[in-house]
Amino acid sequence: MAEFDVGRHGVGSVSVLDVKGFLDAHTAPELENAFNGLINDKQYKVVVNFSNLQYISSAGLGVFMAYVETMRENNGDIKFCGLKDDVYNIFDLLGFPLLYEFYKVEKEAIEKFNQG
Amino acid sequence: MKAKILEVSHSKKLENAIFISVLLFIYKIVFPINETVVYLIINEIFIFLSVFAWVRYVSEFINPKLSKPLSLVVNTGILNALVFFIISISSWLFSETQNSITNTNIIYVLFSTLIVFVFIGSLAYIFSVYKNLCFHRQKKDPSIYFNTMVVFFLLTSVSASFLNPNTSVNNLEVLLDSGNDFIYNALYVVTIVLIFGNSLRVAWIAFLNKKQKLALLAISIVLSVLSWINFSTLFSEEFFLIRNFSPALEQLLSFVMVYGAIYFTVIFFTTLFHLPTAEAIDRKSQELTSVKDLSKLMNQVFDFEELSDTITSTTIKVSNSDSAWIVINEHNKINLHSIVGLGIIDANLISEFLIRNNLLSDSEVKVTDLTIFDKKYKLPKSIKSLVSAPLSVHNNNKGFLFAARKTSRIFEEEDSKPVGTFAGFAAVALENAKLLEESIEKERLEKELDVAREVQYKILPQKNPNYQKFDITSLFIPAFEVGGDYYDFFVIDDSRLGIVIADVSGKGIEAAFIMAEVKGIFATLSKLFDKPKDVLIRANSVLEESISKKSFVTAIYGVIDIKKETFKFARAGHSPLLYFSNNKIERLIPMGIGLGLDYTDKFRNTLKEMEIKLNNNDIITLFTDGINESLNAELEEFGYSRIEEIIKKNSELTVEELSNNIMKSVSTFSQNSSQHDDITLVLLKWKSHNNSKGEN
Repeated sequence: MAEFDVGRHGVGSVSVLDVKGFLDAHTAPELENAFNGLINDKQYKVVVNFSNLQYISSAGLGVFMAYVETMRENNGDIKFCGLKDDVYNIFDLLGFPLLYEFYKVEKEAIEKFNQG
Repeated sequence: MKAKILEVSHSKKLENAIFISVLLFIYKIVFPINETVVYLIINEIFIFLSVFAWVRYVSEFINPKLSKPLSLVVNTGILNALVFFIISISSWLFSETQNSITNTNIIYVLFSTLIVFVFIGSLAYIFSVYKNLCFHRQKKDPSIYFNTMVVFFLLTSVSASFLNPNTSVNNLEVLLDSGNDFIYNALYVVTIVLIFGNSLRVAWIAFLNKKQKLALLAISIVLSVLSWINFSTLFSEEFFLIRNFSPALEQLLSFVMVYGAIYFTVIFFTTLFHLPTAEAIDRKSQELTSVKDLSKLMNQVFDFEELSDTITSTTIKVSNSDSAWIVINEHNKINLHSIVGLGIIDANLISEFLIRNNLLSDSEVKVTDLTIFDKKYKLPKSIKSLVSAPLSVHNNNKGFLFAARKTSRIFEEEDSKPVGTFAGFAAVALENAKLLEESIEKERLEKELDVAREVQYKILPQKNPNYQKFDITSLFIPAFEVGGDYYDFFVIDDSRLGIVIADVSGKGIEAAFIMAEVKGIFATLSKLFDKPKDVLIRANSVLEESISKKSFVTAIYGVIDIKKETFKFARAGHSPLLYFSNNKIERLIPMGIGLGLDYTDKFRNTLKEMEIKLNNNDIITLFTDGINESLNAELEEFGYSRIEEIIKKNSELTVEELSNNIMKSVSTFSQNSSQHDDITLVLLKWKSHNNSKGEN
C-alpha cells in the first residue's frame, strides 16, 4: 500500500529530511519521529526535500505545522524544496508559501540558512 | 450372527448364566454321583456351559475397568486367596470323606455344590481378567493364540474327565486303558506351552506410572506364589472335592492357576526391568498430558493471568523445579506474572539482574547457575540455579519464563526442555490476549466512528434553501472513515444568504468535533459581520483556542445578495470556486491562508475578498478535495478540469442533473479504488429573468 520513507542527512549546520512516497495520516507518525529526532539532537535548521514525494494529505501537512514553531523559537526554520507541481499546488492552495519558504533545489534552501 | 450375540444385554447374559447354574444345581441334587459315562458327560456339559456363561457375563464388567489394570489384578488376587482359603477349609473339613466318591450325604452334596459354584465364579472372573489383560494395549490381535489356548484347555479338560486315570472317576475305569493315557499327556504339554506363549503379552505394564509399577511388583510376586500353591493343592492326591464333582472343572481350574502363576512371574520380571525407566516415562507422559491440557485451556481461556498461572504451576511439576514465574518486557520495563514458590521481591531481583546483564538468550532455553553471582551481586541465596526460556512471537521477544531450583541440583536437558515448550504456550497466550485487546479497541474505534458519522450528519443542513432567483443543490457522500467535510446555509436577512463550505483536516472523531465547532462559529459570525473576509478573520482567531497545532480548516464563505445580484466571498485555503458564465468557466482562487495555519496579522493582511456579478444561467460550483483528489486505478487524480468540462458541456441542465453527472463521472473514474475522503458538492444556478414578476 501507501509506502513512505524519510531519510536524514546533515549539510553543515542544516539537517535535510528526504521524504519519499505517500505522506498521509498513516505514515505521518514516521515523519513526526524524524522531527522528534531532530529536536532531540537540537537540530533546528531543517530543509525538507520533496523530490521523491508522490502525495501529501492534510494530516501530512499538519506535521510541519506542529513543528515549525519549535524550530523558529530556536533560531531555526523548516524550509521546503524540490516539490513536484501537484504537491506544490496543495501547499499553494492552503497558503503555505505565505508562511514558509519554498525553493526549487536543496542547495538553495541550505544556502538561505547559511546566509542568515 | 456374531453381532447378534454381542447385542445380548447384560441382564440377558446374567439370566443365561443363572439358568444354567440352576440346571446344574438341580442335576447335582438328583444325581450326586457320576455313576455312568452318560451321567458324567451331562455333568461336564453343564459345567462347561455354566463356566462359559459366567465368563461371558463377567467379561462385560471387566472391559470398562481396563483403564485401571491394577485394580483388576488386585481383584484376581482376592479371588485367588478365596480359592486358597476354601481349598484349605474344605480339605480340613472333609478329610475323612475324601475317598467317599459314593458319599451321598446331603450336607456334603450341598456344600460341595456350593463350593463348586464359588469356584466357577472365581474361575470365570480370574479367567476374564487374564484374557482382557492379555488383549490390553496389544498392537496385533492376539486372539488366535489365546483362542487356541482356550481350545486346548477344553480338550485337555475333557480328556482329563475320561482318559486320565489319576483324575477320572474310579468306576469309569472301563474307558481307560494305558493306551489312552498318552493323549491326555500330549494335550497337557501343548497346553502348558501355549500358556507360556500367551503369558508374554504384558504390553500394558509399560503404560503404568512408577507408583503403579512398584505396587504391581509386590502384587505380582504374591499372586504368582498364591497361584502356584493353589495349583499344587488342587493337584494333590488329598483334595478330592472338585475332582469328585467334575474332573474337567478341576483341570480347567488348575490350568487357570498355572496360567496365573506363569503370567504373574513374567509380569514380576517385566515390571522389575521396567522400573529404572519408569520415572523418565512418567515425566514424559506428564509433560504430554500437561501440554494437552494446556492447549485445550488455550482455546477456552483468553485471560492471560489465568493462563499464565497454569503455565507456571505446570512448569514446576514438569521440570522438577521449586519456583517459576513469567516476566513480560514492556516499554523497557519488566512486569512479573504468576510467581509460584518465590517472593516477588526475590523474583524481581533475579529477573532484573539477568536481563540487565544480558545473561538470557532471546532465542533458546538457557540454564544459569546463580551460585556464581549471588555473593557479588547480593542476589537472594535461596535460588541456586534456573532455566530461562524466551517468550517469542514471530521472532519478537516479549519476555521470559523462568523455572528455578532451590537445591544445587543442576537442570538436565530433559528438565529444561519442557520449560521451552511452556514458554511457547505463554507466548501464544500473551499474543492472544493482545489480539483480543486489539479487537476490543477496534470495536471501540468503530463505535467512535459511528458517533462521528452521526455528529456529521446532524451538523449538515437537512434541506436545501428555496429561492426564486436561483436553484441550489448540495450533495454529501461520506467516506468509510469520517472526514471533516462541512457545508451550510445561513439566512442573514430577506435578501441575503450566507453559504459556507469547509474541510477540516484529519479524520475521525476529532475532525467531527472541530466540524461541530466550525458550524457554531459560522452560524454566529454570519449574523455579526457582513463582509465574508471579516467572518473568516474572526473564525481564524476563534479557532486558535480550540484546535491543535496540527489541525487546520479550509473554507470558502460567501454571501449571495439577491437585490444586488452578487456573490461576495473569501477563501481560506480551500479548493477553487468554479464560476461558469457566458459559456466560460473560471477557477476563482482569491488569496487566503487556511484557518488555523497562522494567527498573526499575516492571515488578515493576505486574505482577499472577491465579488461576482450574477447573470442568468451563471453557475457557481463549490466542492471539497474529495472530488478532485479521487484516484483511478493508475493513481491519477480526477482534477479540476474534468469537473469544468462537465459543467461547460451541460450548462443547460438543472443543478440536480449537473450534480448527478459530476458524481457519475467521478464514480466511473475511480471505479476500482475506494473513496478515501468525504465528497461534498454544492451547485448554484442563477435565474434572473424569473424575477421579472417576483417581488422577494
